[in-house]
Amino acid sequence: MELTTFVRGIISLLVVLGFAPLFAGLVNKLKAIFTGRLGAPVLQPYSDLKRLFRKETINANSSSFISVISPTINLVAVVIAAAMLPIGFERPLISFEGDIILFAYILGLARFFQILAAMDIGSSFEGMGASREAAFAVFAEPIFFFTLGSIAFISGLTSIYEIYHSIRLDNVTYIVFIIVCSISVFILAVTECSRMPVDDPKTHLELTMIHEVMILDNSGVDLFLYQYSSHIKLFIYAILETSFFYPFGIRSYTVAIVIFVVVITALSISLAIVETITSRFKMKSIPHYLLFATAIGILNLLIYTFTV
Amino acid sequence: MDLLFYALVVQIASIIVIASVRNNHKASAAAHLLLTAGLVLGLSSSFPALVFSNSSSLNFSSLLNPANIFRFDSLGLFFLNIIQLVAIPTTIYSHSYLRHYIDEGKSVTSNFIFFVLMIVSTQVVVIANHAILFLICWEVMSTTAYLGILFEKEKRDVQTGSFYYLAVSHVAVFLLYIFFFLLHQQTNSWLMSDFHNLQNTGSLFILLYTLGLTAFGIKSGFMPFHFWLPRAHPIAPTIFSAFLSGIIIKMGIYGIFRTYQFFNYAPEWLGWLVLGISLISAIFGVWYALAQHDIKRLLAYHSVENIGIIGIGIGVGFIGSAYNSLPIQILGFGGALLHTLNHAIFKTLLFIGSGVIYQNLGTRNIESMGGLVHRSRYFFILFLIGSIAISGLPPFNGFISEFIIFNGFFTTAKELKNYYPLLMIISAVGLAFVGGLAVACFTKINSIMFLGTERKEIKKFHISNYEYLSLSILAFFCVLIGVYPQPFIGIVNKVLNNGFVTANHSSELLNINWLFISIIFIALLAAIILIFFLKRLIQKKYGKRISAPWGCGYEGLNYRMQYTASSYADELNEIPKSILVYHKKVQSPKGIFPAKGSFESHSVDLIDSKILLPAFRSMSKLICRIKFLSYTDIRYYIAFILITITIYSVIAFLWN
Repeated sequence: MELTTFVRGIISLLVVLGFAPLFAGLVNKLKAIFTGRLGAPVLQPYSDLKRLFRKETINANSSSFISVISPTINLVAVVIAAAMLPIGFERPLISFEGDIILFAYILGLARFFQILAAMDIGSSFEGMGASREAAFAVFAEPIFFFTLGSIAFISGLTSIYEIYHSIRLDNVTYIVFIIVCSISVFILAVTECSRMPVDDPKTHLELTMIHEVMILDNSGVDLFLYQYSSHIKLFIYAILETSFFYPFGIRSYTVAIVIFVVVITALSISLAIVETITSRFKMKSIPHYLLFATAIGILNLLIYTFTV
Repeated sequence: MDLLFYALVVQIASIIVIASVRNNHKASAAAHLLLTAGLVLGLSSSFPALVFSNSSSLNFSSLLNPANIFRFDSLGLFFLNIIQLVAIPTTIYSHSYLRHYIDEGKSVTSNFIFFVLMIVSTQVVVIANHAILFLICWEVMSTTAYLGILFEKEKRDVQTGSFYYLAVSHVAVFLLYIFFFLLHQQTNSWLMSDFHNLQNTGSLFILLYTLGLTAFGIKSGFMPFHFWLPRAHPIAPTIFSAFLSGIIIKMGIYGIFRTYQFFNYAPEWLGWLVLGISLISAIFGVWYALAQHDIKRLLAYHSVENIGIIGIGIGVGFIGSAYNSLPIQILGFGGALLHTLNHAIFKTLLFIGSGVIYQNLGTRNIESMGGLVHRSRYFFILFLIGSIAISGLPPFNGFISEFIIFNGFFTTAKELKNYYPLLMIISAVGLAFVGGLAVACFTKINSIMFLGTERKEIKKFHISNYEYLSLSILAFFCVLIGVYPQPFIGIVNKVLNNGFVTANHSSELLNINWLFISIIFIALLAAIILIFFLKRLIQKKYGKRISAPWGCGYEGLNYRMQYTASSYADELNEIPKSILVYHKKVQSPKGIFPAKGSFESHSVDLIDSKILLPAFRSMSKLICRIKFLSYTDIRYYIAFILITITIYSVIAFLWN
């Protein structure tokens, strides 16, 4: 790898790490506006993270070393996943043949430890969240492979960067593909990042939550790490979405930045709208919702069979 | 290679030691030492042979190898290495395992003898060239494993479970007899090295292929022949269940590879058949595992899953063979071979770990465990490494082999175009689904068994240094193959080059950017450690304390309020109603002053209860019809045997 590519990769990663809380703040602000509230400032997540960073850490007396290492593993895994995504037309820091598999599995590692850390407390609240997280993740995994994976299989490319590069907006098949894929990725983002209608990040009822209830007993710097990694995770899915829309042929920073900002804003608006107009699903019907997303993914295959 | 012969002799010599020395403790220690020495000696001869030499230069001296009854090709040596590598930690564990029984005053001599014979015969199976020698060793391997399972033969479930194993082994062996006799008839030779290139066997081709794959498939436990695994594994002594799951079911995989080698070609339909059966085995294996409460039964179902993953690799390789595409074959077979090694390592680790827990707690039911991490943190870390590895997560070895198999899918789609990308996406989604379920399953057992607080009072929890040593060896390889896979990939590549495909050394396996993956994994581990210490510094500044967990203001939290394994898996078990029969019996507390409530759940394996058991029952009904021939006097039976032999001889005489 050339030095300049390396430096640029680092810069892209830093962009992701720096702007991730901003995106979460933007979605929350928009949601507040849609529901007729003033809402917290857009930069609120930064202040929250700063506050958590300075708080005392409290561990449950029944917990073990898993609760101690899990936040770190979570953050590192999510950052590595973020390092595989192209920002604009830049080659990401980590890019090799087959990195799409590593991307899916490294997020799996983060999930593995998050679930363990939740169960580590030995309380039913965390257990409930962990059980749901494990169950819904099983259905979320196929969605990823049906969307990004299907482009990989069809284009014969296995690196996320190259997969996005192969998308040509002048080809009708690809346009249909992008529309279908962006819907699936949206549903995936909602599921994986615990947004409405799968999970409600703002509720205070422990019984009804997934992600929030898993980190119920965390505080201080541990909670900081969890919150920050969930911001990054949401931003990762936002980038997955935006990258569909780059005309990769044009290597212009202005175009890239404009598209990036436009798509990110559109995405946050749609997330906010969905969160405003829907209520949370019953837990029992979430698998159906996810299977619906899988069915959309299968649409991809049908499009492929008809066009080839 | 004479060294290997002496190694086997040393291993067998341990039998004499344990049988001749009177003091039980000393005899057991000496015998285990000798067996370990024999295995290390064997590994030190077979490992260099696999890595450094060409297959042609290896042989026993002609005195030991009359008429080429042994052979040392890369495939056999690869499996020989796996056997020895896994047998060493198992033997180390066996020492402390059997010591418990000696303390109880039970005789372990016979059990140890079966263990040694099983290890030795398994090693000879993979180097046997003469078909009859192969069959004899195969029989010895199966029978000694059966006798080993019978260790606690006074228990009822041991009697039934071991019988399933015996019956299944015999069906497999019966098919193998036909298979090898037909091969002998085709080639006029008993040597496996003469069986190669059998494409032109005409109508017998399909028959031979199916016979071989079915016989070896039964042994490996592909669905629907998996039913003996969850029955035999829980009841077997840990050393045997570890070896059964780690090695003996892999002998079926060895056989499948050999069968392929004989023909050196696979028709496409066979590739799809193997891929389909394997996907079903993998998905349902892990799904059934999720519903289990018995730790060993759960691990047995996971063996079905992992055999499925190996089979997926073989299926992809078969498709590559049908289209004569080298990259597909290399990635498919390569992934399967590496996963065979990986599964042998982490499954043995997990079985030994479960054995350690069973010995301390006296139960295999995970619902009555909990909080073990507070007893021994290091033990949990070792078990956790195995769990992460078997879930196929980075940075451990399970990920590497699944990664190769995924690459096999991608390459198949790219090379064959047409409708292949479609089918490969479906296979990839299947494998990803299996990965997700495995994560759910292993978070379940790790969190229920080790985390939280103790559900049942633990009187003692002691783990001996031998147990730590044996687990550490296995965990070390899990990490090593994950973080630094290059040498192992090189070995797999060599096995493929010397046995299956004529590829040059710049093969697809080596083209994967392994260095990059190693760097990422090392960076991952380094970053985790770095941030961990940074966090400590921050916590030093802003404070850290321990407090009771959040209970909505309720102070009386106790161990009974923890999430249980059933409730953890309930979300997933509820879904496949048609496939997994999951019975729940709830008696909820009623009234203002509720009396006792109860909850019960158990799962039924559908293939088992709806297809196989009825089939067995009707078969036994049929056989009961000819029961009028059964007499109590043995002389009648001798007469029957004589009559049968006479009839056979007459037929044989007339035939010629």
